[in-house]
Amino acid sequence: MSKKNKIYWFEGVTEKGVKALLNDENSKFRWLRPQRNRRLLVILMALGLVLTSMGSYWPTLKANFNLSPGVGMIVYSVTAIFVIFATLGCYSFLRIAVRSIADAPDELLDERQIAVRNTSFRYAYFILGYIILILMVIMMFGPELKMFQPEGNDGSFVVIATFFACAALPSMVMAWRERDI
Amino acid sequence: MLFLMSRNPEEPVYNRIEEARTALGLSRQDLADKAGVHYQTIGYLEREEYSPSLVLALRIAKSLNQEVSELFSLTPFKKGK
Repeated sequence: MSKKNKIYWFEGVTEKGVKALLNDENSKFRWLRPQRNRRLLVILMALGLVLTSMGSYWPTLKANFNLSPGVGMIVYSVTAIFVIFATLGCYSFLRIAVRSIADAPDELLDERQIAVRNTSFRYAYFILGYIILILMVIMMFGPELKMFQPEGNDGSFVVIATFFACAALPSMVMAWRERDI
Repeated sequence: MLFLMSRNPEEPVYNRIEEARTALGLSRQDLADKAGVHYQTIGYLEREEYSPSLVLALRIAKSLNQEVSELFSLTPFKKGK
């Protein structure tokens, strides 16, 4: 094995990182391997994505809950930070759970892993299409969204959640479908 | 939607990899290292849940000192043969 750790910038992985996960070098992540645990992570990730995007509708939600401005701001800030970091944590665990196969380049995988990765991307693309369709319906018929405005619903949370979804969906599909990873 | 994902029902390829591997006293990891694949791919192959490419079939046959036709078949192998 070469000592140099090749970085795959486009895929967001390193050679040593992927090989370490593929070869079970770190046993402390074994609890992530059973399909039941992986599916639980997928559900948590999906929940995190929904909650992150709901941050955009906070002013509307706040009005419905009748919260005072001070309490509302604290609840909003704490919840937003917690949800975003929890979603990031779920995403990191998901990548470990699927051994980074969803993100790894061909040269680090064998032919079955490449086939599994490609199938996961195919389904992830379909699912992303449905997510965008649902978002478009919500944006057309739901409360109005603005970008980077001090007042009103801020659409940036929806954008962040969509970026998260784009990055995580192939891993989510793989974690859900594969019996052994 | 994830529940609706169907797996492609492809024609099964029967094999005797496990039999040949254990006869040589090799672990799945040993065979995986020889064939240049992940050890779980060997598991998938042995359970006949994955059909290998011709290149991988040839590499596995070479690693097990067998001919491809002795290891892989489109019809089930008779027991003890």
